[in-house]
Amino acid sequence: MQRAIEKRGIPTVSITVALDVTEHIKPPRAVFVPFMMGHHFGVPFHKELQRRIILDALNFLATTERSGEIKMLPWNWAQARQEGKLIEEQFRLKS
Amino acid sequence: MTAESKNVENDKQQLRTGLWATVNERYPGSMITKSDFVALAKSKKPLSESRLTFVSTAGVQPKGSLPFDTVHPIGDYTFRCVPSDSKPSDLEIHQLKYPTSGAERDINVIFPIERLQELQAVGLIGELAPNFFSFIGYNMDAEMLERTLAEDLAEAVEAEGSDVALLAPA
Repeated sequence: MQRAIEKRGIPTVSITVALDVTEHIKPPRAVFVPFMMGHHFGVPFHKELQRRIILDALNFLATTERSGEIKMLPWNWAQARQEGKLIEEQFRLKS
Repeated sequence: MTAESKNVENDKQQLRTGLWATVNERYPGSMITKSDFVALAKSKKPLSESRLTFVSTAGVQPKGSLPFDTVHPIGDYTFRCVPSDSKPSDLEIHQLKYPTSGAERDINVIFPIERLQELQAVGLIGELAPNFFSFIGYNMDAEMLERTLAEDLAEAVEAEGSDVALLAPA
């Protein structure tokens, strides 16, 4: 999919949680987050984390030098979940 | 141990080594393996002037559109357009093959439509393409996927004049 879009001259970057699959498919550019399937942008209501993952991917797009590069992003699932829980607790206190 | 090397360790622990070979043995031809790299397309503009589209395999679709066929034995090779100005309440998910526990509470964890709208509003992204695109990742005939869905979707992305595409294969 990503290769088909890139071949049409549109730069692409994907966010993956499955490194083995990505390595086999060889997309032009990808960033890896060590998160659970279906949670590529982190955890519910953690807006800052969701935003930063998007920006990490887009920054990587602008700096990639060779096709097939995969960047490991420095996020941590356990920490993301803890922060998500705190955010939800604060949210509940307010509402 | 630095924070970075610790994360690399974590990443290694999460690799499902050998899984790929097992799946391909059970369902020959269902997995794509490429040995070549496609040439990198060059960004023509900075992000703040670019039109961005988002492509997802999460099975997210506007309420009222034809639901993805999540139980077809060889998969569903169609895609849905999701207007980029949609609200989360306009959308629903039809896909069984990944955990949607987070997405059901906040769709932005897999389809970050509100975050992209915010990044556009503050000018970090130039503009959003009129539509984002979504399909389901359960497609057992890899060759057909490349021949039909991948080309159809790439054509739709190109037709909307997108400068950059962000993808999230669920």
